[in-house]
Amino acid sequence: MASSQKRISKELAEVTTNPPEGIHVSLVDESNVHNWNIVMDGPEGSPYAGGKFKLLLVLPNDYPFKPPKINFKTRIWHPNVTFDEHGSMCIGILKPEAWKPSSKILSVLTATQQLLVEPVPDDAVETSAAEKFKNNRAQFNKEAQEYTKKYAK
Amino acid sequence: MPSPRHPLGDHSLPYTVHTELDSDDEVSLDTDTITDGDNITASPSSRGLHKSRPPTFNLNLRHTVDLRAITYNGTVDENLVCPICRCPFVDPVLTDCDHVFCRPCIDDALSESQLCPIDRLPLSSDAVSRAPKMIFNQLDALKAKCPCCGVVLARSMLESHLEKYCLEAVVRCPGAECVKLVKRKISGEDCLHYPMVCPDCKETHDEIDMEAHRENSCNERLKACEHCSAEILRCKEEQHEGECPDVVQPCKWAEYGCQDEAKRKDLPLHADECSYKAMGQMAETLKKEIRSLRSEVRTMNETHHLQERRIKFLEGGQRASDRPLDMMDLSLANLPESTGADALESGHEYLLSLLEAQQGRLSQLSAEVSDFQAKSTMMLFNETLPIKNELAELRSTQQVTCMHVRWLMRFRMQENQRRFGGGPGATSNGGSDGGSSSDLSMGRRLSDSLTRDIITKL
Repeated sequence: MASSQKRISKELAEVTTNPPEGIHVSLVDESNVHNWNIVMDGPEGSPYAGGKFKLLLVLPNDYPFKPPKINFKTRIWHPNVTFDEHGSMCIGILKPEAWKPSSKILSVLTATQQLLVEPVPDDAVETSAAEKFKNNRAQFNKEAQEYTKKYAK
Repeated sequence: MPSPRHPLGDHSLPYTVHTELDSDDEVSLDTDTITDGDNITASPSSRGLHKSRPPTFNLNLRHTVDLRAITYNGTVDENLVCPICRCPFVDPVLTDCDHVFCRPCIDDALSESQLCPIDRLPLSSDAVSRAPKMIFNQLDALKAKCPCCGVVLARSMLESHLEKYCLEAVVRCPGAECVKLVKRKISGEDCLHYPMVCPDCKETHDEIDMEAHRENSCNERLKACEHCSAEILRCKEEQHEGECPDVVQPCKWAEYGCQDEAKRKDLPLHADECSYKAMGQMAETLKKEIRSLRSEVRTMNETHHLQERRIKFLEGGQRASDRPLDMMDLSLANLPESTGADALESGHEYLLSLLEAQQGRLSQLSAEVSDFQAKSTMMLFNETLPIKNELAELRSTQQVTCMHVRWLMRFRMQENQRRFGGGPGATSNGGSDGGSSSDLSMGRRLSDSLTRDIITKL
């Protein structure tokens, strides 16, 4: 759909000319604006600080009426991200019943950043991480730091 | 549905031209029919349609601008940007929950889910109405760049600009039989869509494309210069001839007799040692001198003519002004008739003396007038004084009479009162013949009015 492409190009221009701190956006394939490569720095003050996390953002053809999909390509030990090769993330803003066509990709990216700082254990997909996060925060932080060092170089 | 891509790249035009050659079908022209260069060819659907055209035929074509694809000047107020397409609103509508969207955007959104895209409240397509006029006005005033010539103007003006004014926009070819399109800037010429043979490669091209062909695409467009062996464009050969450093040229003092010739780049060297150098320079200075002298003579001539005209005018004026002065019997009128070179001076003097005489007369007259005024005032004063005295006298007499009358009236009234109050048998006087109280009041009223009458009369 041409109108969705126009909106995506606009948003891409906005994010690349004025990128939010710690986020770098590029296209997977220059001819296709629907797949974005994102490199996100682990936010300071979180156990992920110092790591660089690769994410893949896929915008559906009927964007903005359907939410984009975002996956971690770098493994991350986080209550809301599956600790596997899919790296599926659970975030409120992208849930189909919560998505609004007026939401922007920029707000999705900043929400993701915020999720790294403040995990939401009640909405967890990686239950073991969520358990540790709730009951043994120090242990969780230590493991998260280790995994960050191991994977997110 | 993905839009078909042009092989040359993603360069779709943000506007559509409606050729309206077929009344039932609008021919949409994209980059296939109008390429960015000067190569403009007919759209395939209109090829072969040759309608004759009256000479006053309007060449303008209707343009539709895609307002989402144009470039806006500066940043657009976020409140005028549709939250769905992130472009300034196109055909904005207002929802019942007070949000504004483009109509196509909200239609798309509602076909996905019947929720407001902002607050996720239930929303049906019936609850959507045209946005307030103010929003339309603000949108119309947005500054946008013309997709053809890049000039910045209000968004609402774009279509008429493209249709009627933009020099880069396409119009119908002015040729009567031609159905092709040309840019407006070259539409003033006749139809250039006729085949021409390229003088270089002998290929056949339309005249309108010939220049671009010879400059950019012709296989034979380049040649080596005969003189300097640099590679030049054939169509620019003459221009190059004028500046090629290896072309042989005569010495710049040739007109004074120097027979030498040299290449353009060597001419300065020759000029330094040319035997005609001294003479040539001398001749140049003399020429310059003569030119300046000539121009001086010309200006002198002009001033001379001007002065002559002035003299003539003054002479004419003098003769005309002699007659009225004679009639006024002024001694100044018999000034000596001035002629010849000093006409100008004496004319001036003459006019000045006239002016002085008039001024003298004027002051004399004004003195006389004030004299008269004083005299008449005195006379008036003398006349009015006795009248005033008489008037005062009359006034005092009148006052005395008035007093007398009043005294008499009062006396009479008292007498009347006494008489009526005396008894019923008393005789009546005037109009009262009864002893009733009404008569009394009547009499009093009568006398009252009488006195009042007398007083007012006095």
